[in-house]
Amino acid sequence: MSINHSFTGRGDTRQQVFIRRRIEAVAGLLALGIALLAIRAVDLQWLQSQTLTDKAEKQRYRQYTAVAPRGTITDSHGRILAESIEVPSIAAMADEISPDSIGELAAALQMPETSLRRKLHGRKGFVWLARQVTPAMADAVARLNIDGVRQETEWRRYHPLGPETGHLLGFVGIDGHGLEGLERTLDARLSGEPGIRQVRRDARGHSLPGGIWLRDPVPGQDIRLTIDASIQSIAYAALADGIRKQHAKGGSVVIMRPDGAVLAMASWPGYNPNNFREYRPSQWRNRAITDVFEPGSTLKPFTVAAALMSGRWQPDSKIFCENGAMQVADHVIHDDHSEGWLDIAGLLAKSSNIGAAKLALDIGVDPMYRMLHDIGFGQRSHIGLSGESPGIVLPMERWGPVETANIAFGQGIAVTPLQLATAFSVLANGGLHVQPRLIETPDIGEKQSSRRIMPKSVARHIVNMLEYATSAEGTGSKAVPAGYRVAGKTGTAQKPDRYGSYNSDKFTAVFAGIAPADNPQLVIAVVIDEPQKSIYGGQVAAPVFRNIAANVLPYLGIAATSEREQPWHTMRIADNADPVPGHSTTGLSLREVRRLASRMGLHLKVHGSGWVRRQQPASLNGLEAGDMLEVWLDD
Amino acid sequence: MRWPLTTWLFVPLLLGGFAAAQVWLSHVRYELSQQTQRLNAEKQALALEVSKLNLEVASLTRPERLREIAQRRLHMAPPRPLQVVHP
Repeated sequence: MSINHSFTGRGDTRQQVFIRRRIEAVAGLLALGIALLAIRAVDLQWLQSQTLTDKAEKQRYRQYTAVAPRGTITDSHGRILAESIEVPSIAAMADEISPDSIGELAAALQMPETSLRRKLHGRKGFVWLARQVTPAMADAVARLNIDGVRQETEWRRYHPLGPETGHLLGFVGIDGHGLEGLERTLDARLSGEPGIRQVRRDARGHSLPGGIWLRDPVPGQDIRLTIDASIQSIAYAALADGIRKQHAKGGSVVIMRPDGAVLAMASWPGYNPNNFREYRPSQWRNRAITDVFEPGSTLKPFTVAAALMSGRWQPDSKIFCENGAMQVADHVIHDDHSEGWLDIAGLLAKSSNIGAAKLALDIGVDPMYRMLHDIGFGQRSHIGLSGESPGIVLPMERWGPVETANIAFGQGIAVTPLQLATAFSVLANGGLHVQPRLIETPDIGEKQSSRRIMPKSVARHIVNMLEYATSAEGTGSKAVPAGYRVAGKTGTAQKPDRYGSYNSDKFTAVFAGIAPADNPQLVIAVVIDEPQKSIYGGQVAAPVFRNIAANVLPYLGIAATSEREQPWHTMRIADNADPVPGHSTTGLSLREVRRLASRMGLHLKVHGSGWVRRQQPASLNGLEAGDMLEVWLDD
Repeated sequence: MRWPLTTWLFVPLLLGGFAAAQVWLSHVRYELSQQTQRLNAEKQALALEVSKLNLEVASLTRPERLREIAQRRLHMAPPRPLQVVHP
């Protein structure tokens, strides 16, 4: 029994051991499983946490770019000068396109099949096939339904006025950034910045509420210019017409208000900014600010102003013009027409180089240099256009007698059309210099500043003299539109050649002036480069000025006056004819009558010398500033 | 104080009601979101259309084109000097 018991006891023990082993094995496996789970949990929750979170976020969230369209450029009346719109572009995944479909795709894209094959050959992935195409072309491509071809949208810039504003506005490249003109200089403001928005998506890919802006979009800023589209168009057409008539090489026009607002800035030859690649880069330049020219006689008013400000010369002073030739050091200065004695107004009307040179030599270098510097010559206007030239003004230490005499009548100095217009705006402003400006949007434009260059009386005298220069006796008579008074100056300058001397057959014809002379509203500078039919500013540039003024002044609401041509006005003078002393200059000396004419702003025409014997008109009553007084004197 | 059994029965009903309201609100939010997205897309499309139309107006009314039509097609001419005295 004991043996059996013993045997049975050993069997139980073995059974228990077996069961325990099994339990231990299962427990071990469980422990291993738990350990593996723990390791995996650590791996997932710790080691791979970031990667897996990112993957999950990508499934749940979606980011998209909110485009910020480029700002619009408008003229002073809000008319659109530049606008961006979305246009289709055609792209492809190069390796997905079947070679058999390239032929029909090329036909739809209106490009040679060989060039399309070249674009796709050996490429993989995304390839642009045709950018910024017409909607019709995009539809034609879409109808082909070719695998691997896709349609994208891009922004394209349009300039509806085309060549008329081409030089001024410039153009925008395929990447949406300005490359020339105002589009380039104002690019940062016009461009804006695209925003990025993140949204949650549901299982079907639909956006759920509660999206957030990762980066707020900054829309491009709209910019309003001082330019008037109608005046710009008038200026461009008048310039083109004048250049065609003269078979000239080119030219430019700047039109300003006296307060510095540029109303038009046109250059010829023009180019269309909507397809700028078809033109040479040299045609893109804005001649009104990049090209410099010798201003010639248009500089004389400022020589005269410097002389009047010196106190050494008066408006009624006379100057001897050496009968057409004068030696300065080793250089001989000539006048086109020999003149003897001229008063200052006569100097400007006859455009005497010798008279201007004598004034400059008399007052000296410093006042002349200061005047040219103050009116803006030799420095950039910072109007907001790139490529602006500062012009050329010799440093003062290089001004010898010959240089001083030459600069007095506009040789040996170079200015831009914009600088010339700005200088004449000083005269129109009664002696105040105002910085020219193109941008009207208040928060962009710099604060308008003005500084006095010359006393108001001097500016008024110069304007009166310039009005005389556009009378029948002056060189600028062709600049005057019927019914308006114009004050201006012609200029004719030889073009310098590459060797530093002057070309005998290449000229620049210039006219700069103010209209109306009695109430300045416009300052216009016209520059014609290498005219062929005539070389003179009075024959070439002055008619362009007249054409512009005749169209722009009525457009601005400035009425023409026919006062002088109506019989009742003549009657009024006749009625007022009064021989009573005090209304007549009879008996006055030449000096006295010059003073009187200067004080009243009259243009004086003198015959003889000594004392006044008679005058025309018979009475001073009814005469106004700018009218003509003719006197006959005898000893 | 002991609450009657019927009062306790309201608790799951109330919770169920809140849950249903939450589901309904989520649905409304979803629908509104879809609607907002549609309207935004429509607004963008309209803004683009306005830009295109503005550009077309600017192109059709550019002074050079009006001058051409006035002179060539309508046989009009610029006013002679002094013809416009009260602009």
